[in-house]
Amino acid sequence: MNILLWTIFLPIGASLLCFIFRRAAGGAALIVSAVGLALGAKIFLAGQLLSPLLALRAYPFSASLYLAASFLTFLIVLYSLKFMAGKERLGEYYGYILITLGAAAGAFFATDFLTLLMFWGLLGIPLYMLIGLGGDGAGGAAKKALMIVGGADALMIIGIGLVWCLTGTLRVGGALLPLEQPLTVIAFFCLLAGAFAKAGVMPLHGWIPAAAESAPAPVLALLPASLDKLLGIYLLARLCYDVFLVTPNSAVSFFLLALGSLTIMAAVLGALVQHDLKKLLAFHAVSQVGYMVVGIGTGLPLGVAGGLFHMFNNAIYKSCLFLCGGAVEFKNGTTDLSKLGGLAKTMPLTFAAFLIAAFSISGVPPLNGFVSKWLIYQSLIELSKINAAWIIWLAAAMLGSACTAASFVKITHAVFLGRSEAKAREVHWTIWLAPVTLAALCVVFGLGAYQLPLRFLIAPAVGLIGLIGVWDPLLAAGLILVSLSVGLLIYFLGNVDALKTRPIFAGGEELPAAGKVSGVDFYDTVRQIRPLALIYRAGEKRWFDFYELSAALLRWSSAWLVRLDAKIPGIIPWLRRDRAFKIKLLGALIAAELLVEGLLLVSGVREILTGLAALAMVAAAFYLAGRLGGSYANE
Amino acid sequence: MMAMIFNFLIFPGFLFAAGAGLLATWLDRKVTARLQYRVGPPWFQPLADLAKLLGKEIIVPEGVSRSVFLGAPLFGLAGVTLVSAIIFSPAPFVGDLIVVIYLLMLPPLAVIFGGSASRNPLSAIGASREMKLVLAYELPFILALFTVVLKTHSIMIGEIVRYQNLSGLMIGSLSGLFAFAAALLAVQAKLGAVPFDLPEAEQELAAGPLLEYSGAPLAVFRLTRAMLYFVLPAFLAVIFMGGGLDPWFMLKYLIVLTLIILIKNTNPRLRIDHALRLFWGPVSGLAALAFILAWLGK
Repeated sequence: MNILLWTIFLPIGASLLCFIFRRAAGGAALIVSAVGLALGAKIFLAGQLLSPLLALRAYPFSASLYLAASFLTFLIVLYSLKFMAGKERLGEYYGYILITLGAAAGAFFATDFLTLLMFWGLLGIPLYMLIGLGGDGAGGAAKKALMIVGGADALMIIGIGLVWCLTGTLRVGGALLPLEQPLTVIAFFCLLAGAFAKAGVMPLHGWIPAAAESAPAPVLALLPASLDKLLGIYLLARLCYDVFLVTPNSAVSFFLLALGSLTIMAAVLGALVQHDLKKLLAFHAVSQVGYMVVGIGTGLPLGVAGGLFHMFNNAIYKSCLFLCGGAVEFKNGTTDLSKLGGLAKTMPLTFAAFLIAAFSISGVPPLNGFVSKWLIYQSLIELSKINAAWIIWLAAAMLGSACTAASFVKITHAVFLGRSEAKAREVHWTIWLAPVTLAALCVVFGLGAYQLPLRFLIAPAVGLIGLIGVWDPLLAAGLILVSLSVGLLIYFLGNVDALKTRPIFAGGEELPAAGKVSGVDFYDTVRQIRPLALIYRAGEKRWFDFYELSAALLRWSSAWLVRLDAKIPGIIPWLRRDRAFKIKLLGALIAAELLVEGLLLVSGVREILTGLAALAMVAAAFYLAGRLGGSYANE
Repeated sequence: MMAMIFNFLIFPGFLFAAGAGLLATWLDRKVTARLQYRVGPPWFQPLADLAKLLGKEIIVPEGVSRSVFLGAPLFGLAGVTLVSAIIFSPAPFVGDLIVVIYLLMLPPLAVIFGGSASRNPLSAIGASREMKLVLAYELPFILALFTVVLKTHSIMIGEIVRYQNLSGLMIGSLSGLFAFAAALLAVQAKLGAVPFDLPEAEQELAAGPLLEYSGAPLAVFRLTRAMLYFVLPAFLAVIFMGGGLDPWFMLKYLIVLTLIILIKNTNPRLRIDHALRLFWGPVSGLAALAFILAWLGK
């Protein structure tokens, strides 16, 4: 069997075993994900691979994404062994993780829109199930995720149909469409919705913070933090450069830049005022996508390189942060920032990994997050030749970066520094190994940015990128080490022998035992500034949540229709109590649906079959949602 | 290699920036003293203060993470040292303008993490104020600096200096002048000078994040602050008035420093919400105006 097919069917097949042999699920998942990682390495080294069945193709860009996905899955399964031990429904947990890996492989390697759609739809099911594993209140969050992601999938079907109508081919990159005609633009936005819902770009982001309220930390580290970002941004990049042609200074480029900047700032302002560790991190999972969208939206090779590099970096540090958050929750039983504190001394390895990842996401040089942001900023400055709007995107991105640093100052203070009587111990090595490895990778990707990630991961996909600035991470790191030694020298010039430990000084008074500043309200001043206060209040009323808005609209309009129907009986057909009429209406709808599908899918037998399979997947996802959502949502 | 180490450690790097910075803080103290009808300290006073601190015992609060508490001051020093070596280099060295903006975040982050690690409630409040101050001044600072980028078409500091040598100083144009004014206020806040000394606010927070520090770590923080007194005004002078490290440049530097000392001595301390409103409102507006003027070619 072809190696590309193995990457898909081995995990999906193994997931069945996990469902049946629940006891051995963890071990099996670890072995399968390790094999997946090995396959990923092999494909990555091979460069180009094809599989006629399902029309799969691996080339350096998709191979590097699969390598990253399988690596993260392996680490997260390893982390889960101890973390999830003793929890209910473990067989399902590992099974769904493996299905995710297999379906992600299919989505990365697909060269055909229908294959892509099939695996894209399949990904929705484990997403729904994994979020739903979180216990109380998880059902609503899972339903929200499925509605947003599944709804976007439905839009993708329309987009794919339009692309087929326009080009006569369903191959991804079969023809490059300039974004000129209205129909092309509609097709682009339909497909864009799929990428944006997966990655969590505003306004399709609502499912990520909702999931963070209850889903287990490794699920968050795997899906919204890393795999879904890789998938969504992968699709975005393919759409913008292989299917459609996004040029600098086009209206679409402007739209992407504006939406990206809005996502950065709005989500980071949301993050500043959160008081739950996982939820705060979830807002950053939204905010960081903004940088990738901005980078890719510039339409310049420099920006695309920055955006894609940021995608890899984000997958690394964001899953590291979620895993550290999980370790904290594992030992302390809470993620409420006001109840934590002082863990730096008792959980030193978790703290070190968290600190490095936090600096990385805040863009502190010389770590990896800085390099990718630096590339994106340069591409924005390149846009200065075109129009004056670049300063808005640049200011949003750079101020967003400072706000990111601010919210990580808040977390670090509340969880690791600050005061607390917490006596938690360091976690088991299988739990700290994954975050520590990822933190080490942040350093390696930062210092060796040119030698490793840019050369092996980005250059094959983007080609030559013309830098306009200069940044020498190795020299900088060397000089930082030199200046640190100068500082140490000053320490040793001082009176180091007289190092004493004393209680803290609070104006000479005795500090009450509970006397601490938890850090939760660090940024209340920002919240109370006038224009921001209005925005925050609107945000708390969920005015920016697309899902809640549409739900409210639906409730409002249906109430209105019912009232209308009561006034003029029979005007709204589906409110009639006449059963025969309802059946006729349903039949007509299905016939219309089949007619549209049939018109779209007359290009050949294979396409029809794959298309039907994709539709079945989406339908199955909705069916499952209805069934399970019903069983969850008894509220 | 040897030349680079010399540049980095001696001139115009660490030692030069430290010496010039200590003298700058002396000038600040002397002028302030004269304005208050006091005599003021002799020129070597800042150095003597540092030497005194080195002789004092180092007290670490109970139950803190020692690696963070003692390590934070070193990272702040590293940041300012690196910037001092970058901004005077005519050839591309280590990093560009974006890198400098990010490296200048290190000293405040060091103060914040140090204060947060010391577990004192007053330090925590001071640290949160420092962070909010960073958020406040970052926006006008970015807008002002990228106004210069718009005019010079480069983010390389050497190029920005060369452009000014050929086509006139930034501050000579209306947009450059406005951008300079906005950046000057941001620098005032970066230095933690009155009216933006609210993170340390002696009277309310008893030195805030630095409250628990003593001995050599406090000396390193003080040295970092002193070096910033040289590096930040010099950075403004390089970007807005051209570089060169000659006597002319020292005059430009002294002009910027004098402006900072004047603002410091004629204003009362702001409250944090007022500082946020000031920077995000009028000061950012001024910087945005500068950008628009630059876009129009003024």
